[in-house]
Amino acid sequence: MTERRRDGVLREAEMGPVVPSAERLARGPVVIVECVENIPCNPCVAACPKGAIAIRGDINDTPVVDFETCDGCRVCISACPGLAIFAVDATGDPALVSIPYEFRPLPETGEIVTTLDREGAESGEGKVVRVLSAKALDRTPIVTIEVPKNLAMRVRHFRRKPDRGGTS
Amino acid sequence: MRIREHPILEFERGREVEFDFDGRRLCGHEGETIAAALHASGVRVLRKSIRHGRPRGFFCAIGRCSSCLMTVDGVPNVMTCVTPLRRGMKVETQTGKGTLAAEAKGAGSIAGDGSGSDLGTVPLAIVGAGPAGLSAAVYAGRLGVESVVVDENEVPGGQLIKQTHMFFGSLEHYARVRGVDIGTQLCRELEKCPSKLLTGTTVLGLYTDDPPWKTLSLMKNGVRGELRARTVVLATGASENMLAFENCDLPGVYGAGAVQTLMNVYGVAPGERVLMVGAGNIGLIVGYQLLQAAVDVAAVIDAMDEIGGYHVHAAKIRRMGVPILTSHTILSAGGTDRVERATISRVDSDWQPVEGTERTIDVDTICLAVGLTPNCELASMAGCDDEYVPELGGLVSAHDADLETSVPGVFIAGDASGIEEASTAMLEGRLAGLAAVERLEVEVDREKLLAMKEEAASGLSELRAGPFGDRPRLGKERMLALAASRGGDR
Amino acid sequence: MKEDVVICRCEDITYGEIVDAVRGGLTTTEEIKRILRCGMGPCQGRTCSRLIVRIISQETGVPVAEVRFPVVRPPSRPVEIGVMAAGGPPDGNPSGGEYDAD
Repeated sequence: MTERRRDGVLREAEMGPVVPSAERLARGPVVIVECVENIPCNPCVAACPKGAIAIRGDINDTPVVDFETCDGCRVCISACPGLAIFAVDATGDPALVSIPYEFRPLPETGEIVTTLDREGAESGEGKVVRVLSAKALDRTPIVTIEVPKNLAMRVRHFRRKPDRGGTS
Repeated sequence: MRIREHPILEFERGREVEFDFDGRRLCGHEGETIAAALHASGVRVLRKSIRHGRPRGFFCAIGRCSSCLMTVDGVPNVMTCVTPLRRGMKVETQTGKGTLAAEAKGAGSIAGDGSGSDLGTVPLAIVGAGPAGLSAAVYAGRLGVESVVVDENEVPGGQLIKQTHMFFGSLEHYARVRGVDIGTQLCRELEKCPSKLLTGTTVLGLYTDDPPWKTLSLMKNGVRGELRARTVVLATGASENMLAFENCDLPGVYGAGAVQTLMNVYGVAPGERVLMVGAGNIGLIVGYQLLQAAVDVAAVIDAMDEIGGYHVHAAKIRRMGVPILTSHTILSAGGTDRVERATISRVDSDWQPVEGTERTIDVDTICLAVGLTPNCELASMAGCDDEYVPELGGLVSAHDADLETSVPGVFIAGDASGIEEASTAMLEGRLAGLAAVERLEVEVDREKLLAMKEEAASGLSELRAGPFGDRPRLGKERMLALAASRGGDR
Repeated sequence: MKEDVVICRCEDITYGEIVDAVRGGLTTTEEIKRILRCGMGPCQGRTCSRLIVRIISQETGVPVAEVRFPVVRPPSRPVEIGVMAAGGPPDGNPSGGEYDAD
């Protein structure tokens, strides 16, 4: 049994094909589909306008992203029932991480938030640069935050500062 | 305690009304349940138990247990978790078995002469307007078959109305749609069908002593009636399992379904800080929903050594800082009149608490998500055989691949036929509705019927094909084998 | 488990009382139901039956799958005597009165 099954945290060792190469990350934005279990689910495949996500066998197979076709457009993020899709743009420093965020109130553009990793541990601060909450996203807004490049593959959530309506 | 802003839901609350609670004047919203209104006002203790006078709050919130019985307008033993609040109600904490006041009147009036209870006949009666029941009615309706759908709740949709998350599964079968919206869509579909929906109506009994007719004894607003049907689909869902531990009956120990009802139907936060017991999908999902309602989740614990639910559900709460403690159990709840703390400990491989690992955490709510039991009571009354299949959640009515029980023309679908997901419940309901049509021998496009059945059956195999489908798939296989061997005996 | 843990909430029956009953020879859910009233209250055993089956299994060594659950009888919910005595809709109209869903 993996550690993940015991505590719910996905580790790098288990991420394998989820993560694009360093070269690809440096080249342009891309999505990271952190869906590593065989569960019956497929909306991401249809959501991608470029056809970059495939589920090869039956509906229980894990999605595979063609990183050459994916341009990190983020359309699939709100389509994932497991909220397991993130987008990373590590072409510069700071990098940009886009996160599905189903909480209220939404942060504001320019706001400084506390960034959290997959275990919910604080990893530093990030600046909110974009909040998408169009009707088409069906109540799963996408928040893009600027984080230090070395944290692009670690930051997966954030918390608003207590003075901005967040909990401490 | 009322949730004012929610990322997914907008609460449609009735007008504000005053009511009396033990001589105090409180406010609530018309149409919400008495228990929800009291909870929103901070009242946790609803009654004192009959022998030991222990304080009790509600537990199931769907009218199945007895924790919430109160005296309302002089009538004792009113299930306040399902009784809507009305202006000026006099609500009293009930001690013991309650006293029937001389002037108190029951909800029903003895006006009928006993002969006026005939509700006529229908080809197909469906019990339960959740994902399975609604699907059965819709698919039978698409073949032109009339049905009556009976549900004891005022709002149809079953547990779907409490699900704020997007469903998994296949895009053709509602994946990516939020459960609450699937309920609305199914109800809209139902409106196009020759189907009649009886909400707020309880099925008291099911009798099969006059084949091929099945008689359903119904009750609505304290009035009884009988409906006769050629075929019946039982889509009665499941009940929350109870866990026994010290002070498990303390107000603040709630079933996961009750927490969902309170916060997602009535917009009332169950508490400020919750311990979730159970790391299956329900525990993980309700944990996330609590966070969406701005309620703190102290931890999710599970006695198993691994998380039972999907990783993606676990990951959502982990990245928000909620610990998931596998190999942990709850030893006790503490507090005088309500939960103030919980003591948990590690368990060894035999699920025994490990001494010295106890720790106490401050929480005001303990949410139990420790599994469900299929509701087979009506099938049992109707004389359907049952089998104990642990993979399906315990005692389940024996059924074949068409979901027909041992009583011809009585079908069982959804969680009532084995605990699974709502996506499988919808497909099972479909299959059972179509199989009932087949059993009716009415004039329908047979080829179309068989093609629709095949589509539902293959959809089910697909959903059960992955590792998380192992358990229900094995359970269903065992059930089919058991039912077949029983069939041979007859 | 502590003896005073309440297993049957309706009738306030504790773990200790049920264990004593099983040790005293009441090894079926039907006997426990008749003597201790577990399953006779307003919830009709929906909350406690599973727990009682487990206690019987643990005390007697009979596998859980072989311990029978109590028989289910109508009505499925508590019903006031007045409702039972009253019969059905007063006007006898199958689609009329309170049952009209339209």
